[in-house]
Amino acid sequence: MWKSILQVSSTDPDNTRRRRLLNILLVGIFVSAIVGLLIAGYGYIAKAGEPSDIFLLSIICLAFLVGAAIIHLVNRHYVKIASYLFILLLVVAYIFSDTPFQISDGRSVFFFSIPIVIASLLIHPLASFILSAIGCVIITWAASTINSQPDFVVMIGFFMLALISWLSSRSLDQALKELRATNTSLDRLVQERTRDLANALARERVESGRSKAILESIADGVIVFDLHGIANIANPASERLLELSVKQIINTSIDKLSQNKALDAQNQGILADLLSNPNEQRTSYRIQWGKRTLSVTSAQVTDTEGNDIGTVAVFRDYTHEAEVEKMKSTFLAIVSHELRTPLNAILGYAEMIKEEVYGPVTEKQSRASERIMTNSRRLLDIVSDLLDQAQMEAGKLTFQIRSFRPEELLEAVHGVVDKFAAEKGLALTSELDPNLPDTLNGDIVRLQQVLVNLISNAIKYTDQGSIHARLYRSDTRHWSIEVLDTGEGIPEENLSQIFEAFRQVDSSATRKHGGFGLGLTIVKQLAELMGGEIKVSSKVGVGSAFTVILPITHTRNKS
Amino acid sequence: MKELAFIIEDDKDLSYIFASALEQANYEVEAILDGLAAKKRLEETTPHMVILDMHLPSISGADLLTQIRKDARFTDTSVIIITADARMGEAFTDAADFVLVKPIAFTQLRDLAARLHKA
Repeated sequence: MWKSILQVSSTDPDNTRRRRLLNILLVGIFVSAIVGLLIAGYGYIAKAGEPSDIFLLSIICLAFLVGAAIIHLVNRHYVKIASYLFILLLVVAYIFSDTPFQISDGRSVFFFSIPIVIASLLIHPLASFILSAIGCVIITWAASTINSQPDFVVMIGFFMLALISWLSSRSLDQALKELRATNTSLDRLVQERTRDLANALARERVESGRSKAILESIADGVIVFDLHGIANIANPASERLLELSVKQIINTSIDKLSQNKALDAQNQGILADLLSNPNEQRTSYRIQWGKRTLSVTSAQVTDTEGNDIGTVAVFRDYTHEAEVEKMKSTFLAIVSHELRTPLNAILGYAEMIKEEVYGPVTEKQSRASERIMTNSRRLLDIVSDLLDQAQMEAGKLTFQIRSFRPEELLEAVHGVVDKFAAEKGLALTSELDPNLPDTLNGDIVRLQQVLVNLISNAIKYTDQGSIHARLYRSDTRHWSIEVLDTGEGIPEENLSQIFEAFRQVDSSATRKHGGFGLGLTIVKQLAELMGGEIKVSSKVGVGSAFTVILPITHTRNKS
Repeated sequence: MKELAFIIEDDKDLSYIFASALEQANYEVEAILDGLAAKKRLEETTPHMVILDMHLPSISGADLLTQIRKDARFTDTSVIIITADARMGEAFTDAADFVLVKPIAFTQLRDLAARLHKA
């Protein structure tokens, strides 16, 4: 209770501050009045002093006591009125506390400085001047009652005191005001910061909530590893695909996850390599995880400043696609076999007729047999091209890398294409660069296919002149296959389309030259699968040059 | 006496064409249409030449090839593999004397067989 009465807070508004200050003064008055009454009581009992003085003291003390109590009650609701009443109480008490002489000139003349100072604190800084004026009137009135001159020095003293009170009270008011302003701005600042912080937290929560929702709803398994290769995030899909609980995945290292018994040794190696080196640019790998075929990709995770903070691995269920691919591949193998066998029979019978196994044939009959054979072979080539194309699109084409001599390759190619060139009366020559290594690494069957396709294409589009094939070393790490012809050439605007499947530069060319236009597409795809590229340059009416550039060291087989 | 050649091929038309080619090359030909029958015949007889299709019912061409290569009786026997798959053919170049990829021309087989007579 005392604390609430006595405390004066600097941050309170003026009224509250004044109310508290008044309370303190009232407590002082109250205590003084009690002490006064005790003194009066002692005087009465001990018969010390004049009875009239003791009586006067008792009355004054009682008046103060009552006055202080009333003012305290008023102060609860009307601090201004209470302040006026308090000042009035002080003035009245002053007037009646001494003889007129003592008031105007004697021992109590300066007691009036008390209401002057208190008024400036309680009512308004300027109120000190009003109280000074009232003090002057009182001492003038007191002087007049005893026919004396009022003391002008005291009056001046009152105004000086009023001036000092006004100044100090005003500066106190200002200081408090500034303090409150500072406090207010501080409060606002704290509030703003708090709000910002709350907003940022809310935003982060929303964002992480969103990421979490995405992670939880996608069908792909996602596992995030920290810089030390320890899993710290795993989504429900990873749980389903890897048949491990999220709890089992979290805190597992890359090594431990890669050694899971659902993987065979080869797949363990692939997975460990993939997750440990996420920087390398490469396509996804397929691994067999238990019954499932999973396509796995890994990527480095970086923060907004580009710092490496870990690795993310994405597992996609590829089981169904793998099954479809397997079926497709089986289907292709069957189709390939089932188509070749009857075609071989057609070819065989036609040849037997031509070879006069069934007796002599006329010139016309022999030519008809030949047409049957030529067309059967064309049909076979088309079937082979389509099957190759389908296999490449399914990513099923495999390469059997072995070392071979470049001469071997050229000989094999000549065996196939020489007769086609001769049929059209074209000169077909070939050349081996002495700088080529004695042996090269590669799939000789596929390289043969590249050369045969390029040369067949050149023969197809060349009506007269020659075709020249060249194998040469293009730089320290590459070798090239080049086929030059003196054909009709390809208009520049069509150069970009010639490798597209099922497209010939001019659709009328299909009728003229036959075929599906798959040959070059296959060459391009083969070149790329072997880690190389194909280039073409051509001049209409002069001829074309196709160059396949291949790495000298063989490349790793992609899944 | 003519040298004996086995033609192990399940397609009757091809078997007939190959047989004609070998007959023209002056061979005594026995056409066998099934892997199991071929296995049995190989146990009984030692032909001079075997034309072997890799794609056979009951016993695969690869198994028959292994059987032939294990047996010293067939040291002098020429084995010509016939397959529709060039890839598969590659795998048997060492074990077989020749690998022919379908389509196989009548003249091609006839001329090859003619060259393979005992001197």
